Amino acid sequence: MGRRLAVLATMTGLVAVLFWAGVHNLRHRRALSEANHIALIPAASTSSASDNSGPPDAQGSNLRGMDAPAFTLSDISGKKVSLSDFKGHPVVVNFWATWCGPCKLEMPWFQEFSAKYKGQGLEVLGLSQDDGASRDDVASAAKKIGVTYAILMPDEAVAKKYGGVDYLPETFYIDRTGKVVEVTAGAPSKEQMEALIQKTIAAGGA
Amino acid sequence: MNRSVFPLSIALTLPLIAAAQIQFGSLDRTTEAKRQHVELLTDSLQLTANKPQDVELRFRVEPGFHINSHKPKDELLIPTELKLDSGSFQIANEQYPAGSHFRLQVGGGEDLDVYQGEFRVALRIDAPKGDTTLSGSLRYQACDNAACFPARSLAIKVVVTAK
Repeated sequence: MGRRLAVLATMTGLVAVLFWAGVHNLRHRRALSEANHIALIPAASTSSASDNSGPPDAQGSNLRGMDAPAFTLSDISGKKVSLSDFKGHPVVVNFWATWCGPCKLEMPWFQEFSAKYKGQGLEVLGLSQDDGASRDDVASAAKKIGVTYAILMPDEAVAKKYGGVDYLPETFYIDRTGKVVEVTAGAPSKEQMEALIQKTIAAGGA
Repeated sequence: MNRSVFPLSIALTLPLIAAAQIQFGSLDRTTEAKRQHVELLTDSLQLTANKPQDVELRFRVEPGFHINSHKPKDELLIPTELKLDSGSFQIANEQYPAGSHFRLQVGGGEDLDVYQGEFRVALRIDAPKGDTTLSGSLRYQACDNAACFPARSLAIKVVVTAK
């Protein structure tokens, strides 16, 4: 009888600990989930592949420090453009959409910096996420926004390679060696964007 | 198994199942609900049968987010749109509320016309006698202060009781 009671007491204790751990874990994850709605995830923040504190859909931060996934897409004129075409260049891969207000506000900065850092080889690629939109629609929007860098048409498979890209704008800063230096989800300030570009240019060596 | 231990085992197993649900189940539903950013507050309507009546469907946008109004200022923005399956109902006169002003604070900023918090879509509905489910979807596109999510559809299911 005594042994049976000891077993039951142990089981009760285990259940209590499990229950407490579950509640604690749930609270912690709910808090993280709430925090996830902070729009801007500074690329230079402490988040990493093992850190789940990024925005809910910005899984692309897992790519930081890794080789940027290769892709070949059509631009708005129908020409094929591959990431590998820019080997040896620092590249900004910016996922955007015509319906995304913050995207449209930050894109002129990419235009400005692509000219400013052209001498250091900077290339900017704008990857539209307008599923179902025509080339003309995307081209018209790009013209309205005032950007002349390469605008590429959507491909869900590419977005998946970059973590799903379900939270726009999302930008990958890739150094000359093809490594992802930084990732941002949400529009940064212009100063932050320029600092990230400078970091990307410096990262792969001149 | 000893008869005296069996009920105790059951009693101890139930909290274990509850703990497991908390650990692995509940958050998924919470997260999924949050990923929608909009919820339907109306779950039932009481009407007089076979008589056109004005009703409202109430929605709530998650705090910190906004969705475009039915008539956003920019043609590129995706408007909020309700699509109902008429089924055995006669539905007419859908009326969306006016949006509120929202200044997107990125760079030079942009003025938007949005829904935030609670908003209501009015419609006139003629329902048959009995309990019937009004179904459809609300299409919208949500953003916060610095980023946007792709357009989503919220399922509409409202039990209409007409007497």
